[in-house]
Order: sequence, then C-alpha cells, then structure tokens
Amino acid sequence: MQLNPCAKHKLIRDSVRHFAETELAPIAAEIDRNAIFPVEVIGKMKALNYFGLQVPKEFGGAVLDSVSASIVVEEISRVCAAIGLCVTVHNGVAVYPFLQFATPEQKKHYLPKLASGEFIGAFSLTEANAGSDSASVETTAVKKNKEYVLNGTKIFVTNGGVCDLALIFALTGSEPGRPQSSVFIVESNYAGFLRGEVEDLCGMRANPVSSLFLEDCCVPEKNLLGKIGDGMKIGLATLDNGRIGVAAQALGIAQGAFEAAVKYAKERQQFKKPIASLQTIQNYIADMATEIAAARLLLYRACSLKDEAVPFGCEAAMAKLYCSTVASKVTSLAVQIHGGYGYSKEYDVERYFRDAKVTEIYEGTSEIQRLVIARSVLSKLIL
Amino acid sequence: MKKGIKKSIWVFGDYRNYYQNRVTLQLISKAVDLAKTINAEVCALIFGHEIDEWIMEYTAHGADRILAIDDHALKSYSTERYLAIIEALAKERDPEIILIGATDFGREFAPRLAKRLHTGLSADCVGLNIAEDGLLLQLAPSFGGNMLAEIVTERHRPQMATVRPGTFKEIPHNYERNALVERLSLMKNLPKPRVRLIEYERSVEKEHTIENATVIVCGGRGMGNKEKFKKLQELAKLLGGDVGATRPVVYAGWADHGALVGQAGKHIKPKILFSFGISGAIQHTAGLGEADFIVAINKNPQAMMMKMADVAITADASDVLNNLIKELKKRIRE
Amino acid sequence: MVTELPWDEKTGTLRRDLAAGMMNPACKHALEAALQIKEKLSAKITAITMGPPAAEEVLREALAMGADRGILVCDKLLAGSDTYATSLVLKETIKKECPDFDLILCGAYTSDSETAQVGPQLAEELDLPAAAYVEKLDISGRTLRVRRMVDNFRETLEMEFPALVTVSMENYKPRYAQLAGLENAFCGQETIVLEAQSLGIKASSMEQKGSRTKVRKVFLKKAQKENVLIQGTASLVVAEFLDKYQRKIGTAIGKSIEEKRLDEKGH
Repeated sequence: MQLNPCAKHKLIRDSVRHFAETELAPIAAEIDRNAIFPVEVIGKMKALNYFGLQVPKEFGGAVLDSVSASIVVEEISRVCAAIGLCVTVHNGVAVYPFLQFATPEQKKHYLPKLASGEFIGAFSLTEANAGSDSASVETTAVKKNKEYVLNGTKIFVTNGGVCDLALIFALTGSEPGRPQSSVFIVESNYAGFLRGEVEDLCGMRANPVSSLFLEDCCVPEKNLLGKIGDGMKIGLATLDNGRIGVAAQALGIAQGAFEAAVKYAKERQQFKKPIASLQTIQNYIADMATEIAAARLLLYRACSLKDEAVPFGCEAAMAKLYCSTVASKVTSLAVQIHGGYGYSKEYDVERYFRDAKVTEIYEGTSEIQRLVIARSVLSKLIL
Repeated sequence: MKKGIKKSIWVFGDYRNYYQNRVTLQLISKAVDLAKTINAEVCALIFGHEIDEWIMEYTAHGADRILAIDDHALKSYSTERYLAIIEALAKERDPEIILIGATDFGREFAPRLAKRLHTGLSADCVGLNIAEDGLLLQLAPSFGGNMLAEIVTERHRPQMATVRPGTFKEIPHNYERNALVERLSLMKNLPKPRVRLIEYERSVEKEHTIENATVIVCGGRGMGNKEKFKKLQELAKLLGGDVGATRPVVYAGWADHGALVGQAGKHIKPKILFSFGISGAIQHTAGLGEADFIVAINKNPQAMMMKMADVAITADASDVLNNLIKELKKRIRE
Repeated sequence: MVTELPWDEKTGTLRRDLAAGMMNPACKHALEAALQIKEKLSAKITAITMGPPAAEEVLREALAMGADRGILVCDKLLAGSDTYATSLVLKETIKKECPDFDLILCGAYTSDSETAQVGPQLAEELDLPAAAYVEKLDISGRTLRVRRMVDNFRETLEMEFPALVTVSMENYKPRYAQLAGLENAFCGQETIVLEAQSLGIKASSMEQKGSRTKVRKVFLKKAQKENVLIQGTASLVVAEFLDKYQRKIGTAIGKSIEEKRLDEKGH
C-alpha cells in the first residue's frame, strides 16, 4: 500500500514510524483526552531534526526534499495527528517564510533556533472577522521611531499556547479598497504579547491552539519580514506551502484509520465469519485503499513541483482538498466498520474521525481550495 | 576411525551452576539413549579444579567414561583453555558427537569449538535423534520457537549440538554405577588466555529466571499505567512465577528490559502464561510458541492474543488482576 | 572498528514482518555501543552485512545513525549459508576492507535463527580474544574491559585489541536516527557492494570451506487451542475461571488453590 519513491523515502518512513509507534502511540489517547502538549516527546523530536525538516545544513536543518518532509508529517499523523499538526505548522508556515523572504541577518538569527526547536513557531493570520477573507485583518502595526507597535487579536493560532515566535499579519496602511498588510516576526517574550486560553476543540486536542493578543506590542523594525505591503504576497506563498503539509497530515490520518479498519475487519466475527469477508465491507475497503493511493499521488506530485521550483499552488490546493476530503470519508467509514466499538473511546478510530474534520477547514477551507483551483484553471491559456 | 573401536559421544561438563541447571545430566541421559542406537559410549568431559564431586555425579547419572583434568589453572571456566584442551583430545580420540548445554557459556563456547574443529553446529536444540542414515538429527527452533528445523552435519565430525536446558530428562542417580575415569594431566604449552577474568561473583539476583519459570504473568499496555502494571508482581509472587512485559511497556519504563518477552526477548516455556492487557502484536506472540497453557485477559475480545489463548477472559485486565490476587490470597495453602 | 550485522537470506522475507526496519534488534544495540565509543574516543565505524541487495538498507540505517562506512557482501553463491560459512565470508571481507580494525561488535543473536554463533565463529576465524553477551564496554588505551552477566555470574573481563564482542540487549538502548543523518546516508559513496569473487571465494571454495550443516526439513509448530471464552464482571470471571482451572493451576505451582470447604468439624 505504501508508495516509497525511493530507498531513502522508505528508510525515512520506517524510522519515523518506529519513533511514532514507540514514543507517541502509548500516549496519544491520553494527551487527546486531557488536551496535554507532550513536552518530553516533543523534546526528543527536536533532537532528531523534526523541527528543521527543510532548513539548510548551515542552520542545523535536515535539508529533506519535500516528499521526505511529507513522509515525516504523514507518519507522525498516522499515530498522533495533533503532534503531526505541531510539526507541519512549524515547518510549513512558520519556518518556510523565513526560508523564502527573510534577510540574511534574520535567517542567521532565527533559523538555527527554529530548526533546533528552541523556538517553536506559529503563523497568525486568522482573526475573528478574517478567516477565508484574510485580506480583512484588523490587527494594526504603526511605525513609531525604530519600532512597530502592534495591536489586535489573532484567533485559532496552532501552537499558540507554546510558541516562542509568531509571524503576525498586520495592517500597515490602506488606500481606499486596497488594504496593505505586512508580516512581523514577534517573539513571545516581547512586552504586550499575550496568549489566550487554549481552545477546547473537537479534535487535535493535544495541540495548544489559542488566541494571541497584541496590546501595544513593540516590535523592532528589523523584524519586518520582507517589505512593507508584502503581507498578501507572503501569506499566499506560505499557504501554498502549508497546504502540502496539511495534505500530508490528512493522508497520515486516513492511513492510520484505514489500517485500523482493515485489522478490525479481519478479526471481528459476525455470522460465524470475519466481517472482512462481506462484500459491503470489501467495497468500503476497496474505496478507501484507492482513494488513499490517489491522494498520496496528488500529494507527491505537488511536492515534486515544489522541489523543481516551479509554481505548485494549484497542485498543492488539489492535494489539500483531496487528502482532507479522503481523510474525512475514510475515518467516517473506519468508525462505521468498527460498529459500536468504533464510537467508543476504547478504540482509537473515533479520535481519527474527530481529528480528520478540521483538515477540511484550516489553512484554507475546502471551499477556498476550490476557488484557487478554479482560478488557476480559468486563467490558463493552455490546459 | 579405527574399526572395532566404539564410537564416542562426548558431553561437556558444564558444572558451574550444578544445582540450578542440570543440563549436563540431561545430556548424559540423552547421550546414553543415542549411544544405544549407534553403538557408542558416553564420555563426560570435566575440566576444573577439585572436581571429584562432579566425577561422582556424572558417573552416577549414566556416563560410561570420564575424561577429567584437575588442575589449579582450570579453577575458573576459561573458553580459550577448553578450546585448546578439547582440540587436542578430539584429534587424538575422534569423537562422533559432542553435546554441550545451551547455557550462556555453552552458547559462546560451542561455536568457537565447532570452528576450531572445522565442523557443523546447531544451536539450542529441543530434540535429538538418530536418522535412518545414522546421522545425528538436530531439532533446532527459530522464530521464537514457532518454527523447527531438522539439521544434520553430513560430512564432518564430530557432529555438534548445543541443547536447551530442560529438553531431556536426567537418569536418576545411582551410586552403584561405575565409569572408566581417565585422569589426564593438563597439556603443556597451552596458549596463555588472552581474555583475563578480573572479577566474578555469583549474582545476588534471584536464581530462577524468567527462562525457566513455570508460571509467567505478562502485561501489556492494556494495564493502563505503571502502578497498575507493577501489581502483576504480586500475582507472580503468589504463583511462584515471574513477570514478563511487552516491548512498548519496556520502552514506556513500566518494566526493565530483562522482563521483555517475545522476539529478541527472553525464551520462555512456562506451564501457565497469563497475558494481561496484551493485544498480541507478532513481535510478542512470536515468543510464546512454547507456553503450555495461555490465559488472556483483555477488554477487547477480538485481540489477537485472545484468539491464541486457551482461555480468553473479556474484562478489564487491571480489575481481573486485583480480583484474582484477592481470591488466590484466600485460597493458597501449601 | 567494525560492527557486523548478520543476515540470514533464507529467512529474509519472514523477518521483515517482525522487525521495525530491517536491522536485527540485537545489532542495533551493537551499533549503539559502537556509536557511544565513537563519541568518547573518536573512532571510525564500518558496518558490514551479508545478504540480498535489499540489505543495503541496513547499511544506510547504520550510516544514518553515525557509522562512517558500509559494506554489503552480496552474491548468489552465498545464499543459504550457515554460520560456519557466514563467519568465513565475513573474515575475508574484514581482512580485505578493514584489516587494521581494533574491535568488532556483533549483536548477541539474530531474531530469526537465534543461533548466536556468528560472533564467536568470526572471532575464531580471525583468532581474536572475544566475549559474548557484553553489557558494558570500557576502553583504556588498547585494553578493553567488559562487564557481563552469564549463567548467574556477574563477570568483568579484560583483553587487548584486536578483539570481538557480542553485545547483549540489556544495555545500549538504540538511539533514534536523526533526519539529517538519514538524508546524509544517501549522499556520497560510503557504501560498497562486494561479490564473492572479489573476496577470492569461488563455488568450489564454498563447497570445501562453506556450510557444514544442512537443513533437512522445516515445519511450523501447530498449536490447537481450545479457546474457551469467559466474560462478565471482574469478580464473576475470576470466580468462573478459578472454578474451572484451580486444579490445573494448583498442579503447576505445587500448591493447592481449591476453595476452602467447611468439613463436618467446621474447619
């Protein structure tokens, strides 16, 4: 069932799977139930370069290609989606903007800390009135002497409860009808940076998702990422990349639920035979297997394009759209195949079911993904 | 092989843990059995210092001949010296078969000896027979005991095997028995051993190990947490047995590596195995091939471990453990 | 320094199910011991394995953990070798590729055939002082001191390099591979593949000097279990269980656990 494009990918997959099953599997149910961020295991992951997946060697990163990085996220999410989320958000949308848009000084200062996990990163775009409509952010950044003063509230910030660094999108000016936003590197120890309560969510509960409050938070001007007005540019490019990570996460969730369903179907006996011998169940299994395989290929295609340094936004949106849809469908079927036991917290599938849903929502809802894909198709002269 | 001279089956005298591990006596017994089929004599090798006790014991338990070397230089076991001694003796006397108990020592010593004598060796055998063509048929386990292989050494001599302790039954001792005792002197010009024994002490840990425990109480992640897992020790103690653990439990720090049961864990062959809260991953179940009677307790009736068990109890593992301990405390008397 | 990773090609396919990755668990402990030595004393680690082409993955994994070089000995001629032959081939490999080694480390046994023989036989081939089931290694100059537990004896042994040890699984818990290491393990030329010919081994030499044992038959142990099911509350299941099996358990433990019944005198 696994597609391992090459020997290296297989070894990476085996290694991460071994780590996830040894370190995360025993605690996954408990940290979900009690919404605990497992600091000790995260510490072990930091030492193994999980927080610097695609960071260059000179900054202490693992320099993985995009398929390898996706495999890491997949294999963690296959066991514990909430921690897979921590890793993919940190790498995909907090570290990535540094790689693409930071000055040499900013890279030198921040990338080693980010790659080693000394700093856990967060990406803060969403606000109460700015979800899909991300241009409508209301957080402001006003220049004052050699600083920018930030005011506003960011919500649903993944890693918010533990992040050491957050990329904040703020308004830095507006012409009528054309809001101008910029991105600021904000460290959590800056005065005026406050965290809200950790959200009580349906799934991904071991990830400390919270609001971030900026109250006259002063940020040195050298912490401007890119140029003034680059907000949209950085945001869109980052989300393109983030989509690959979320797709990988969704794929991992689907894979985990799928494996559990197949194992259960082989063991569970009704009418004096395993339910895996019933045609209805076999149909479900066939559909799940096929859709996961297709999702994987879409994901790896987006990864290849990204590594070839050609535009990959449309393909990334397709991967995210499809992987998250498949994750929701597969996890729902997995619960169904488990019958009553699937609805109980004694089994892991109900957690996968709850975790899967949000992959259709964050980092661009499925509706936004369709928008991105349609625009890409309609804008092409040759399809 | 000179015609008319009887063939010889040698049994290495591993006397170090005589009272705990009767493997040498068990091998002598089997050798006597094999010797009848191939018309051979059974010869026990004893190399040590002040070894009269062992000479008496091995004679009383069935040996026809004893090759003994009693020398201060052999006070402690020495792989290198034994290799040199047996090499010299084997060249001289051309044994047909050499059997060595699969103790830790035997399993390290026998392969080197086999190489030294340029012959084949099978490890940890659980059965020995004479095949129709007169060869020693060695039954060796693999994959944690789930597979058995029949192995022969066709063209080379001596045929060698290490045998798992407890495989054969010893012949009851009979002090009326006699054996031909050859007291040889230690060869001169033996090479000086390159491995020096700096210190050794009999371990103060419990003498019986999980490997020869009659009852084993195994626990897995289904026990819930470390405190609940630790309670297994109470049941084990009541039943005079040992606690075993699965790999996830060892890695979670609920049990030591020494308790690991399964692939790459300890070889167990209990009469009764209790399996608390274990799902039955292949890495664990592959090591259970030789348990006589398995009782599995798990909340999940579909778990593979439950399918493999003689008795499958569907209930919370920890609750059943507590109740079982309570009941047994009431009932146990000598 | 050489860490040797034995591989039994006959049982290659089955083993895949049993191990996380392809490297035999005991060998991982041996590699971990080697890595800890390298950290303290700066050493060069060569990982050697004998097996089919797919076994190269084991070498890559060793490189990812920190080994410096990997050698795969791969040849159809070597298929089905017993430990006698395997140790011979490994000796030739070591003599050719790393003749100036100080220490050879092996896993105490493989999880498939579990003979624990390759290490001692390799030591014999190379005429080395050796110790098996080592739990702790300490190096001082050219002296190696090891601690181990064998047959209920706790032993401390000493020997000089060059030497061989087999590493037990009591200690040296294997580390996880860093992702950077895994990525680097596939760049560069640190692995080589050797055929029998380059070691001077021909079909005739395998006939003469190769395997001494032969497997005549292999069979699976069958276990026909009755699989009695009991369910209910904890106290009820325990009562039912003991009711059915108290005698069996009592016999096994040498004590009676039958329920006390009041006799006529009320005892």
